[in-house]
Amino acid sequence: MFSLQGVSKSFGGVEVLKDISLTLHPGERLGITGANGVGKSTLINIATGFLTPDVGHIKLRERTLTHRPAWAFAQAGIRRTFQTTRFLATSTLGEQLLLVARTPECRARLDALLQSSGLQSSLPLFADEIPLPMLRKAEVIRGLAAQPEVLFLDEPSAGLTVDELHEFGGFLQQHLHRKTALVVVEHRLDFMTMVTDLVVEMHLNQGLQLGVGGC
Amino acid sequence: MDLYLASVLTNMTLIAFLALSAYLVLVVGEVSFGQQAFFCIGAYLTASVTALAGAHIVWGLLAGMLAGAVCALLLGFLTIRLSGLYFAISTLCFAELLRFSLLHIRFTQLIDGREIGPDGPEGFSNIRWIFEHNYAVTDFLLLAATCLLILLVLLFGLQRSHLMLAARMVGNDPVLAQSQGFNPHRYRLVFIALSGAVAGFGGGLFALFNTHIEPAMFGVMLGVHGLAYSIIGGLGTPLGPLLGVMLDIGLLESIRQLAAYRMILFGGLVALLLVFRPEGIASPRLVARLRRRWGRRRV
Amino acid sequence: MEVIQTSLDGLMVGSTYALLGLGFALVFGIMRRINLAFGACLLFGASLAIYLEPLLGWGAWGLFLVTMAGAALASAYVERLCFAPHSQRRGAVTAMIASFAIWMQLDEISSQLLPQRTHAYQGLEVPTLWLGELSVRGDQLLHFGMALVSIMLLYILLYKTRLGLLIRATADNPESAHLLGARVSWLGFVVFFLAGILGGVAAFMILSADGYATPLFGLWSTFKGLMAMIIGGVGSLLGAVVGGLILGLVETHAGAALGAEFRDMVTFGLVFLVLIIRPGGLMGVKIYRTDNAAQERV
Repeated sequence: MFSLQGVSKSFGGVEVLKDISLTLHPGERLGITGANGVGKSTLINIATGFLTPDVGHIKLRERTLTHRPAWAFAQAGIRRTFQTTRFLATSTLGEQLLLVARTPECRARLDALLQSSGLQSSLPLFADEIPLPMLRKAEVIRGLAAQPEVLFLDEPSAGLTVDELHEFGGFLQQHLHRKTALVVVEHRLDFMTMVTDLVVEMHLNQGLQLGVGGC
Repeated sequence: MDLYLASVLTNMTLIAFLALSAYLVLVVGEVSFGQQAFFCIGAYLTASVTALAGAHIVWGLLAGMLAGAVCALLLGFLTIRLSGLYFAISTLCFAELLRFSLLHIRFTQLIDGREIGPDGPEGFSNIRWIFEHNYAVTDFLLLAATCLLILLVLLFGLQRSHLMLAARMVGNDPVLAQSQGFNPHRYRLVFIALSGAVAGFGGGLFALFNTHIEPAMFGVMLGVHGLAYSIIGGLGTPLGPLLGVMLDIGLLESIRQLAAYRMILFGGLVALLLVFRPEGIASPRLVARLRRRWGRRRV
Repeated sequence: MEVIQTSLDGLMVGSTYALLGLGFALVFGIMRRINLAFGACLLFGASLAIYLEPLLGWGAWGLFLVTMAGAALASAYVERLCFAPHSQRRGAVTAMIASFAIWMQLDEISSQLLPQRTHAYQGLEVPTLWLGELSVRGDQLLHFGMALVSIMLLYILLYKTRLGLLIRATADNPESAHLLGARVSWLGFVVFFLAGILGGVAAFMILSADGYATPLFGLWSTFKGLMAMIIGGVGSLLGAVVGGLILGLVETHAGAALGAEFRDMVTFGLVFLVLIIRPGGLMGVKIYRTDNAAQERV
C-alpha cells in the first residue's frame, strides 16, 4: 500500500497543496483531474520524491519515504512519466531502454513489451527522429519494464490525437501488471474512463482524501 | 627520432592524461578546475616512492594513481552537495590549497650524496629513475604512449557499458536519471575518483619525465588547459580530449614561427569554434550518429 | 593599536576587492554566467594605458581613463564572442571555457604590448593622512572614496533608472523581462560593459597603489573577484561589496599574524569552507536555493 498522509506544500508563501491524502492499494487505478494550477503536477512531484512536502508523510507499505531523494522512490518501485517525454539526445532509444533493464526478469519483460508495441524498428533511432505517440509508448514501457508498485502518468494525452490516445490506452491496459497501482493526471476524461476505476477532481486549497477506496 | 619531436609528443601524451581526467568529470555533468591537484599528488607520490624509497616505477605509478583517486574521492565527499559553478570553484580552491601546502612541506634525505625529497618551493629534484635505468626520451615516450593506449582501450570498453551510459544520463539529465532510480551522487563519486586516478597516474609519468617538479608547475592554468582540451575536443568519445591536445600542442606549438602569437590565435580560434560547435568537435551527438551509420554498414 | 591599523589597511585593500567582486556579481547575478576573462580584460586595459601613456602624456588621470575604457571594451568584446552565442541555459560551461580561451588571448596581447615583466604604473600623489598613531596612505583613502562613489553610482543606475529596472527584471526572470520589452541580449552587453568599467576603476586603484603592473595581474584579479563574490554570496551585489571588505580584512590580518606565505592559504581555505558549509555565502543563500530548485525542477 502506498500512501500520502496530510501533505501540504507551499512555494514562496503561496500554498499549492493543502492537507492532501492519497491511498493506493495494489492494482488500483486512479484518475486525477482538475483545472490548471490546482497542484496536480506538484502532487506527482511530491509522490515521486522530486519535491519534499512541508508537512505530511509518504509511505510505501511500512517504509517511510518522506525525506528520501527521488532515486530512492524510483528504486522502491514508484515510477513516473513526464509531461514532455524525456529522453537523452545522445543515445539511441534502444540503449536508453536497455539501461533501465537491470535484472534478467526486467530484461525479459522489456523484450516482451517491445515485441507487442511495434517499437522495435525505432530502437536504433534517436528520440528526435521518433514520432510522439511512439515516444509516449516508449516512456510507459520504460516504466512498466521495472514492474513498479505505483506508476504515475503525467498528462500522457498531451499532443496525441484521439485515435493515438485510444491505442495508447489499450496498450497500457493490456500490459499493466495486475498488482501495479496506476495514477493518471489528465484532462481528457475519455482516456480516464478507459484506463482508471475512478476519477477525482482536485480543487484549489481544499483538503482532499484521494483513493479508489474499498480494500 | 628527433629529440624535439619526441619531447613534444611526450608532453602531449602526459597532458592527455590530464585532459582525460577532466573528461571523466565532465561526463557526469560537472566542471573541475582542480584536476591539476591530483596530477600534482600523483607526481609527488611517484617521485617519493621511486626516488626516496627506491622502489620500481610500477609501484611508484600505482601509488600515484591510488593517491590521486583517494584525494579525488575526499574532494568528492566534501563537495557532495555542490554542483555547477559552486563545484567548479571549490575544486579550484582545493587545488590551490594543496599547492600552497606543498610550499611548506620539506622532507629531504641524503641519498648517494644528493639531497632528495620535497623541499618547499624548491620542489622535488633528482627524480632519476629513468636516468638510472637508461631510458632514452624515445623509450619513455613509448612507455607513456603505451599506458595512454591502455587507458584509451579501457575507456572505449566502458563507452557502451551500463556504468558509462548511466553516468551520461546523470550528467545530461539528472532528473531523468533519478526517475529511473540512478543515484547521481554515487555516479559522481565514482567518476571523480576515476578522474583522480587517471590524473594521478599521468602526474607520476610527468614527474619521472621531468626529473624535477615544483609546486609552481601545478597552477590553475595547467588544470584549465586540460579542461579546455576536453571541451574543444568534445565529450562524445575518449578521443575528443586527445583531439583538443593535438590541436593546441600538436598543431600550434609545432609551428614555431607562430610561437609569440600562438595564444592570440588559439584563444580566438577556440572561442569561434565554440560558437559553431558548442559541444566541441566530437560532440556526443556527432559520435552517436557516426557510430550508428558505421554500425549499420557493418551489419 | 596595531590591530586597528591592520584593519584599516584591510578595509582599504578590501574596497578594491569589493569592486572586483562587483564585476563578477553583476554578471553572475544577471546572467548566471562566470566570465573567467574578467581579470584579463583589466590587464588588457592596464597594458593599453601603459603602452599609450608616453604617447598621450596625460599622467595618472590618463592611465585611469584608458585603463577603464580598455577594460570596458575588452569586457564587451568577451561578451559578444563568448557569452552572446551561448545564452541558452545549457551554455554556461561552454561560455566559461570560451572566456578562458579569450583570457589566454588577452594575456598574450597584453604581453605583446608590454614585453617586460614589470612596468611602472603612475599613481596619484596624495600625502599620507595621520590620525594620531594611525596612518592611511592618501592615495588609498582617495581610492576608497572612488570605490564608494562607484558603488553609489552603480546603485543609482540599477535602482533609479529604467535601464536598471530592466536589468533587475532580467535578473529575476529573463522570460518575463523579454515580455516587458527588454532585449535580453543587448542587456548582456550593457552588463559586461558596466562590469568592465568597475573592473577598470579597481585595476587603476590597485596598480597605482602598487606603482607597477605585471602580467600576473589578470589571474590575480580574477581570483580576488571570484573570492569576494563567493564569500559575500554568489549573485548578491551587496554581498560582493561586503565579501570584498571581509576578504581584505582576512588577508591583512592573516598576513600580519602568520606571515605572507600563509596568507593565500588562509583565504583559499576560507573560500573552500564557505562553499562547503554555506554555499550561498553571507547574503546569497536565497539565490543559491532558488538556483538549485530551478535546476532540479521537473
